[in-house]
Amino acid sequence: MSLVTTPINIDTKDVLMEARDVEFDFGQTPALRKASVSIREGEVLAVMGPSGSGKSTLLHCLAGILVPKHGEIRLSGERIDTYPEHERSALRREKFGFVFQFGQLVPELSAEENVALPLLLGGLRRNEALVRAREWFERLGIEGLERRRSGELSGGQAQRVALARGLVAHPKVLFADEPTGSLDSLTGELVMELLVSAAREDGTTVVLVTHEPRVAAYADREVIVRDGQVSSLAANSPAS
Amino acid sequence: MIRFGLRLSTRGGKESLVRLVVMALAVSVGVAMLLLTMATINGLGTQNSRGAWMATSPRFGNGQPNFAGRGTPPTATNSHTIWWLVTSSQFENQLIVRVDTAPVGAHPVVPPGIPQLPGPGEFYSSPALSALLKSTPSSELGDRFGGRQIGLIANSALPSPNDLVIVLGQSARTLSAANGAGKINSFVKTSNNGGPDTAGTTGLQIILGVLSLVLLFPVLIFVGSAMRLSAARREQRFAAIRLAGATMRQVAVVATIEALVAAIAGVVIGFGLYFLTVPALVHVPFTGHPLQAGDLRIGLFDVLVVLIGVPFAAAVAARIALRRVQVSPLGVSRRVTPRPPRWYRVIPLLAGIAELAYFESVRRPTSSGAQTEAYLLGFFLIMLGLVLAGPWLTMAGSKALAKRTSRVSALLAGRRLSDNPRGSFRAVSGLILAIFVTSVSVGVISTILADHGTTSTGSLASKTVVDQFAFSFTGDIRHLPTSLESSLRSIRGVTGETTIYVAPTGMSSDGPVPDVNGLGGDIQYGVATCASLATTPALGKCQPGATYAKLGDDIAFVQLTKSVTATASTVWPSAQLATDPSGLPVQVIAVATDGSTAVINRVETTLDRAFPYNTSASLFGEVNAQSSQLLSELETSSEVVILASLLIAGCSLTIAMAAGISERRRPFSLLRLSGVPLGVLQRMVALETAGPLLVISLVSALTGLVASDLFLRSQLGLTLRPPSPVYYLIVLGGLVGALAIMASTLPLLDRVTRPEDARTE
Repeated sequence: MSLVTTPINIDTKDVLMEARDVEFDFGQTPALRKASVSIREGEVLAVMGPSGSGKSTLLHCLAGILVPKHGEIRLSGERIDTYPEHERSALRREKFGFVFQFGQLVPELSAEENVALPLLLGGLRRNEALVRAREWFERLGIEGLERRRSGELSGGQAQRVALARGLVAHPKVLFADEPTGSLDSLTGELVMELLVSAAREDGTTVVLVTHEPRVAAYADREVIVRDGQVSSLAANSPAS
Repeated sequence: MIRFGLRLSTRGGKESLVRLVVMALAVSVGVAMLLLTMATINGLGTQNSRGAWMATSPRFGNGQPNFAGRGTPPTATNSHTIWWLVTSSQFENQLIVRVDTAPVGAHPVVPPGIPQLPGPGEFYSSPALSALLKSTPSSELGDRFGGRQIGLIANSALPSPNDLVIVLGQSARTLSAANGAGKINSFVKTSNNGGPDTAGTTGLQIILGVLSLVLLFPVLIFVGSAMRLSAARREQRFAAIRLAGATMRQVAVVATIEALVAAIAGVVIGFGLYFLTVPALVHVPFTGHPLQAGDLRIGLFDVLVVLIGVPFAAAVAARIALRRVQVSPLGVSRRVTPRPPRWYRVIPLLAGIAELAYFESVRRPTSSGAQTEAYLLGFFLIMLGLVLAGPWLTMAGSKALAKRTSRVSALLAGRRLSDNPRGSFRAVSGLILAIFVTSVSVGVISTILADHGTTSTGSLASKTVVDQFAFSFTGDIRHLPTSLESSLRSIRGVTGETTIYVAPTGMSSDGPVPDVNGLGGDIQYGVATCASLATTPALGKCQPGATYAKLGDDIAFVQLTKSVTATASTVWPSAQLATDPSGLPVQVIAVATDGSTAVINRVETTLDRAFPYNTSASLFGEVNAQSSQLLSELETSSEVVILASLLIAGCSLTIAMAAGISERRRPFSLLRLSGVPLGVLQRMVALETAGPLLVISLVSALTGLVASDLFLRSQLGLTLRPPSPVYYLIVLGGLVGALAIMASTLPLLDRVTRPEDARTE
């Protein structure tokens, strides 16, 4: 991999999502400074960088969780950073999926109910939602765990359930923030393989925030966030 | 470790300080409510004791009250002895307590509230009665008593400032001839002395005490809930302490110290809140009679119980809570998954209802003692059953909800409730008893009141005044004052008068006498001329062509639990009487009027003046006014308890709600981050807290009404009547108030689960 100098040359062809000159700060602390990045449809993009570099902030801005102070965020060419909160919520619910490091499963619900949540929120009937949720258990190799609660799952199992929840509604973009951060390397690799292959099968674009090169290696392309600015790395060869 | 615990509680950073302050404030609200409940119990006791002197009854050698000379006169006459008679009078649905006194000894005892015994023709009256006497023509009120007012009865001798009481002076000769009068040497100081309940207070204190105690349950639950605030966050911190090398024993010390600090601060603030709010409580109409300033007090014992009891309970609760979880250096886990409540928890509830149903449909115990025991057992089983069945019902209901719903909020709420049904039920467990007891009380009382029958304005019964003699043990009145009939006739607006006489033994009739009260039993028949009966149609009528009518003594049958009157359509059989009945003892005098208030008052005054020591004359339709008033007071008390317990339960649930939100802030934040609308989470939190409140209120209210219906059917032969609209309004108002208190927590959900803050968790 070789470092490409900024500014990044954005190829507008097939671009699904982009951030342009995004600035964000937490009080006196700047988090992003004129950060720009474009994400092509169907690609797996790894956002790397050291702790505190602003990579999670960039993900939150892209996902409409945070609103940039300056700059713009576009999805399919349309600015989404100007959307009001309820529209951004709807966007996250309908177009995006999320996988976090840990703690995203609702402890009171069974694994299958957790996976079915986005479908139920989308208005699907209970039985249909559960049937569609169960399909993912076999697909991700966690069949038999449907009735378990989050407290009865191992870290890897819980992350696979979270992954199923993130993908069950067929989002356009899956945002994964350190999805293997709380797992051992072997389990982490398994989760990443499943994440990438499932996303590719469904044609889902993935924005993957990680500080681990081994995880980033699963991506098609990597960008580095350092001191709130984005640099680009050369494209990876397809993950095995 | 104690010093460390203290430092951790008070100087453990902003979060622990906020937690401490919130816990202390919640405990303080609970403590203030506890103190206010104690003060109310004390206040009602003080109120009753203040009027206990009016329940003083002359006692005779056999220990029985003196009724019509039954019993042996007392032998202990000394220099303090006085003649004493307490009766009552009715004025526009208000009860006036009339006390007649006359000195016997040289140093007669003086009732509380007046400087000396009034002389013959003099009286002291309560301030409210004094004002009423001044504002009412004497022919409508003052003439009942006669005499001259020489002063006021001090409020210190009146249960309530608006009580109507008069203490009249008589000559010893006059009063000694009055039936029911007797000698006394001292006054009772508590209302439950077994004497006649002229002031209507006997038993009231006991029932009010029960109602007040019922209120203690939700209050104690609230205090307990307050101590569990932020438990999950605290336990997580304990895990960090364990990681640093602390033993479980040391962690327990820290937890206890933290609970103690919050509880002690809460107790101190709670006393402050109590003193701030107690003046307002005087205006709450617990019994319909306002309390007086100073009635609401807490004694040294109460203070010590709260000062020591609350911190002690907090410390014990903290230790117990810690034993339920496994605090390891790696985190906190529940020690064991609690077993779900089993179905057999509903057995006592069903057994209690079955017992009451058995009495209703098969048979009830014959003796009153056995009846009391049986009913108490039934009600106790139901109360125990409600508390035991509560968690199972919570679990069953929430499981059913979670299994069927397609709504995310209902699914989340249902799962949360079915996961920990005991914990979910705990916050409302105090409410279930309070609502049950008060619903039984309201159900029974409202049915009795409805059965008493209030007559509509303009009906015959509300235009007819009756003065009854048979029930007042005044003995034979064979000769009515000659002036009485002319006095009554001279009142413009009087349209008729009937005198019913005690029928001679063995007097026959040409048919059975209608059993108006439906209870059968010994009937002292009456007889009246059909000519006079025709002038008072409210009492019923004769058979066509009859000269005399044979009547039951229950034309105006009055008991606390059942009062019925004859109606205009009652047809009395013809009596076989050889001579005019006017020489027979008088049973009832009834006077028909045009229904105007002034005329009714004048008729009542005329009758009361003619028979001053007899039971008060009153409207035929309101013969039950005195018992109705007492029951209405109890109904008011029950409704106050319902309102208070609902609001307190609302406070408990608010704490539970806040704790639930705080425990799940990370998954909630991440759900919101994923686009789950705040409204879904708000509905979920509202469902999981308001759901049990509404369901438990409904279940306990319905169970209470069912139990009261079974009791009424089996014991009194009555069918439950729907409570008055006031009851529904009170319940609705209490629920709305409780929900409003809980809704105040919803903004917290928004604040602690903001998606942008999820990353800092």
